[in-house]
Amino acid sequence: MTEARELQRAAGWRRLDSRMLLVHPVNELIRFLPLVIGFFFVGSSQEGSSLYWHIGGIAVPILLGIMRFATTSFRITGSQIELRRGLISRNVLTAPIDRVRTVELTASPIHRILGLAKVKIGTGSASKSGSEKLELDSLRGHDARALRVELLHRSREVSEVSGVSEDSGVSTSSTAGTGSTTGTGSTTRTGSTTGALIDDIVLLRLDPAWVRYAPLTTSGLLIAFGALAATNSFLARLVNDVNGSELTTRVKESPVWLSVLVGLVIVIVVISVLSALGYILTNWGFTLSRDRNGRSFHIRRGLLTTRETSLDKERVRGLEIHEPLGLRLAGAGHLSAIVTGLDRRSRGSSPLVPPAPTAVVVGVGEAVLEETGPFTAALLPHGPAARRRRYARALSGAAVLPAFLVVGWLAWDWPPWLVPVSLLVFVAATALARDRYAGLGHALTSKYLIVRSGSFRGRRDALQRSGIIGWNIRQSWFQKRVGVVRLTATTSAGKQAYTAYDLSEGVAIALADEAVPGLLRQFLRAAS
Amino acid sequence: MTDLQLRDPVHRVSTKAPVLWVCLALGQAIIGAVVLWLVTGRWNWFSMPWWVWVLYVVVALTYLVLMPMIRYRVHRWESTETAVFIQTGWLTLERRIAPMSRVQTVDFEQGAISRIVGLASVTVTTASAAGPLKIHGLDKDVAQRLVDELTRRTQAEPGDAT
Repeated sequence: MTEARELQRAAGWRRLDSRMLLVHPVNELIRFLPLVIGFFFVGSSQEGSSLYWHIGGIAVPILLGIMRFATTSFRITGSQIELRRGLISRNVLTAPIDRVRTVELTASPIHRILGLAKVKIGTGSASKSGSEKLELDSLRGHDARALRVELLHRSREVSEVSGVSEDSGVSTSSTAGTGSTTGTGSTTRTGSTTGALIDDIVLLRLDPAWVRYAPLTTSGLLIAFGALAATNSFLARLVNDVNGSELTTRVKESPVWLSVLVGLVIVIVVISVLSALGYILTNWGFTLSRDRNGRSFHIRRGLLTTRETSLDKERVRGLEIHEPLGLRLAGAGHLSAIVTGLDRRSRGSSPLVPPAPTAVVVGVGEAVLEETGPFTAALLPHGPAARRRRYARALSGAAVLPAFLVVGWLAWDWPPWLVPVSLLVFVAATALARDRYAGLGHALTSKYLIVRSGSFRGRRDALQRSGIIGWNIRQSWFQKRVGVVRLTATTSAGKQAYTAYDLSEGVAIALADEAVPGLLRQFLRAAS
Repeated sequence: MTDLQLRDPVHRVSTKAPVLWVCLALGQAIIGAVVLWLVTGRWNWFSMPWWVWVLYVVVALTYLVLMPMIRYRVHRWESTETAVFIQTGWLTLERRIAPMSRVQTVDFEQGAISRIVGLASVTVTTASAAGPLKIHGLDKDVAQRLVDELTRRTQAEPGDAT
């Protein structure tokens, strides 16, 4: 009796792919490869004990892998996904499918060799502890994709059709022996569990020529500096080698400006190469597509580790166009989606277009929003007070340097010619203030609130008006004197807050009132 | 685009709230003075002319007198059928508005000093990490009533408030 019920309960449970048993051992083997090779050549008579340690180091992960494989299973019932884990302490995690907001497939090189992919299911839960994450490590690539389709599409169908047939994708695909081919190719066919193939509409494919934008992005620079820091010790040795060689004497003989120039060129080349490598590693094969029914977006990218993210379209609350100074000057930008339900680590935004020409960014943005307004709408400037504040801030900030140098000249006998030279910062500050003011803008379309700001990190955000869940209106003492405010729309997605700076008070209130009708009206002062 | 302006929220905070603010500010001032004394007097890291103490006391006293006065004039709140509206700050004015349909949690809080003087604060959060609405220095009864009212209204709203 109870056995029959057990059987019934066990129906539909699926396991992870058995090949995942290889993932950890292979990982460990690669880590120990140098040691293993060493033992092979040197022999290990006196180092036997440490060899045992290393064998243990390989065996333990294998055992853990077997345990995890044996004890993890999951299933999809009519409206829920259940994940069962643990040998001694049973842990069953249940999440309603209509709460599934994102599905992410990642495959490290080892996963890819074995034709596997890790599935991460985002439900928008605030809990970030490991035991409550819905993560399946790993499924066969084909099954993972099938699961994704099932999750994202079922979440709509649940409300329409109840009791969907429990077709097991695992058994069919393993008997057919497919799946191994879907690992790396640029195929955009996605198998659904019902057997039908859905062709995705490709919105964007990476053009390798865009690598040229990599050095212009801030993240590209960060990656380059990170790599430089990581190879620091190597560089130090290089410097040591160079020191005392004839190269140094030749550098010493050449004029200062030449060595500075050469140094600058070297730095620029190194940074460009490193950031280009970073761009290729993360964005290689970047493909953005939408399924035929227009319910979700799929993003696929990565050279070694591939990452496939699927976004439920209903969770997209808007778009962020990032135009950092370098990219802007080159006529380029990158695009992210403002999404609810992504975890905090990715800060609620998912890249939709890597650094690419503006025309591409705008084209994809319009395709995603299915609306042209947010990108073509003329933005309203923020007015003279905002302009004065930009200049006042930039110039007062810039004044610190000459003032400091004057003090240094008077107090510590610094060379006086530094002072007039330092006045050049005012030129830079003026240019910055001008650009920052030109960056300010806002607009309202039928569905979106658009705000733009920034210079070095220029950005234009289009936030769905229905996604606005509150307003913060802030006015400092200085702002009060000139009658401007900072208007922030709060939302549950992306950055959580999108801000228009230094709007004149009346404009800000009118904007907020119009963007979310009926909210502010009751708090307005009667027209005097 | 006429010159629209927000009016102030209807309700002031409790008349006892300035007492709370004075207590807290006094605590800060004393801690600051102790640190200053330790650094210059006791451990003698560097010497400080006596007039800095005079300056410190003057600034602290001004702060203690002005801040609660201005703050009491500024801090206001209001809760209607459809929205919560608060105004805080003393040098910087901050106004926050959240629609009732997007309210997720309502917190009632009492610190040690608040309990002695019978005050409480109410925090209203939405699904956004950027927008908690916090009302300090309410009379305990008023705060309790507000919490009940907000809870009742938000429960009546459908949807998951994201």
